Amino acid sequence: MSSGVTANQACLEAYQSLKLGKKYRYIIYNLSKDNKEIVVEQTAERSSGDAISQYEEFLTHLSEAECRWAVYDFEFEKEDGGKRSKIVFFSWSPDTAKIKQKMLFASSKSALKLGLVGVAVEIQGTDFSEISYESVLDKASKGA
Amino acid sequence: MVMYGGDEVSALVIDIGSSSVRAGYAGDDTPKAVIPSSFGFRRAAKEQEDVLMQGQENGDSASSNGSGQEPRKSAYREVFAGQSGPALWRSKMEVGNPLVDGLIADFEPIPHLIRHAVTSVLQCDPTEHPVLLTEPSWNTPANRERMAEIMFEEFQVPAFYIANTGVLNAFAAGKGSALVIDLGESTASVTPVVDGFVLRKGLAHSALPKLIHNHAKHMLTQKFGVELWPHQLIGSKSPVDPNTKPIYKLRDDRIPAVTQSWREWAENREVDEWVQSVAGTLDQGWNDQAAAARPPKQYEFPTGYNSFFGYERLTIGEQFFHHSPSLIAANPNLPQTIPALIMESLRACDPELRQVLVGNIVLTGGTSLFSGLADRLSNELARHFPHVKIHAPGNPIERRYGGWLGGSILASLGTFHQLWVSREEWQEHGKAIIGQRCK
Repeated sequence: MSSGVTANQACLEAYQSLKLGKKYRYIIYNLSKDNKEIVVEQTAERSSGDAISQYEEFLTHLSEAECRWAVYDFEFEKEDGGKRSKIVFFSWSPDTAKIKQKMLFASSKSALKLGLVGVAVEIQGTDFSEISYESVLDKASKGA
Repeated sequence: MVMYGGDEVSALVIDIGSSSVRAGYAGDDTPKAVIPSSFGFRRAAKEQEDVLMQGQENGDSASSNGSGQEPRKSAYREVFAGQSGPALWRSKMEVGNPLVDGLIADFEPIPHLIRHAVTSVLQCDPTEHPVLLTEPSWNTPANRERMAEIMFEEFQVPAFYIANTGVLNAFAAGKGSALVIDLGESTASVTPVVDGFVLRKGLAHSALPKLIHNHAKHMLTQKFGVELWPHQLIGSKSPVDPNTKPIYKLRDDRIPAVTQSWREWAENREVDEWVQSVAGTLDQGWNDQAAAARPPKQYEFPTGYNSFFGYERLTIGEQFFHHSPSLIAANPNLPQTIPALIMESLRACDPELRQVLVGNIVLTGGTSLFSGLADRLSNELARHFPHVKIHAPGNPIERRYGGWLGGSILASLGTFHQLWVSREEWQEHGKAIIGQRCK
């Protein structure tokens, strides 16, 4: 069952730039104003700063009132020092968002997600504890 | 109707449950028509020909078969649906309910119920509105095709869609993946939803709410000696002190014309009202001291009998979570408790999915409003899983009509247009299109 909403071509292009071009650290997706298609709301370029503070900066763009999707190129070090990178997909649907928006986002996700080949970890977040750096690190490092 | 972005399709959303049929306009946040699924009827038997015809709706498809050789099929000579259906006393009226275990088992009264909700209550013409219908996760393909047939052929709807209540509830909670615990009037079910699809092998359901109901009825009648006469049969009563014999007079004019099925329906309603206002559960599991410390609640029955119900009222809720060994020994086919259903469901799912599911539990259905149930469930699950999160809307309307509400939002979307099964498609492809489109 789906809402019939489609993903704008730019969604995929941005994703390719993140995955293959290694241009972006993260992409935040939203629904267009008329709720007809999924659009890129924001992209952030990679920087060489500290991984945790970059992630914290990403979190500031998610609010407790609005649903979003996001893709994050998550880099971390394994215990033996080996570097790993995993693409994490977020469905951000805070408990306090409006029910109509929750329904729209949940029933439209597949239209976006199907095009994003290579996502390694998927996180369904309803509060900030579920998308904290530690929580994502824990999920990403499983089977790394 | 509240609409946005020119999305107006004015679809209708119909959700048929064991206790009520919910119907309303897509885009609304509550169903405008909520009528009982139970309906009154009189049998099409010869000896009842002399009964006065009253309130007969036109288009009664059940009027044939006058010889009455088959007692079940086409046996309804008159059908009384709606708020003044079974609840309004009528001579020799019986009561039926088309649902068994949450599924429609008797399709004959269904058009009566839908027609009453849509034409009489909503006062709209179904031939002008696409209809989105809900179905439980364990619905059969034959059942959904039959419903499509009824909507297209009998109601002449322009377009139709049938959506799964488990998925609708998960989506309405903002979750593509969730463990949906739906506690209805007759059935408790656990549905794992993964990326918007029901994981069929993980479906688990039982008639647990029926057991709770029967337990309460048994306790009231056997232990407290309550006579469950409904107000429709009581002529007069006088106030009495708690726990004393009630003083009342029955309506002798009505008693001889009361049918067994109506009497049972009315008694069950008295029990349900008692359960809803008095019964509860302890949040940390059974404990004699904690139960004794909870305040008793007073309740008065239609006969005027009234009492304070103390720890007994809390034993009712215990049955949702725990069956006593003696009860299990006496009934090998006892309906599974909520924790047992959850465990059975999770066992059938892949281990890596289990953590995602218990972290995204959606609690819905009218029976989930049972006093203290959500807290108790959360505590029970916390003993078995490290990260449990239960999404239980505080708004009782959202909880009771979660499936309807999800359908209402979905059907109001302009982009959803392309998914409707149109009348033309139905005529061209027949039943097969329903299974292909409504996934």
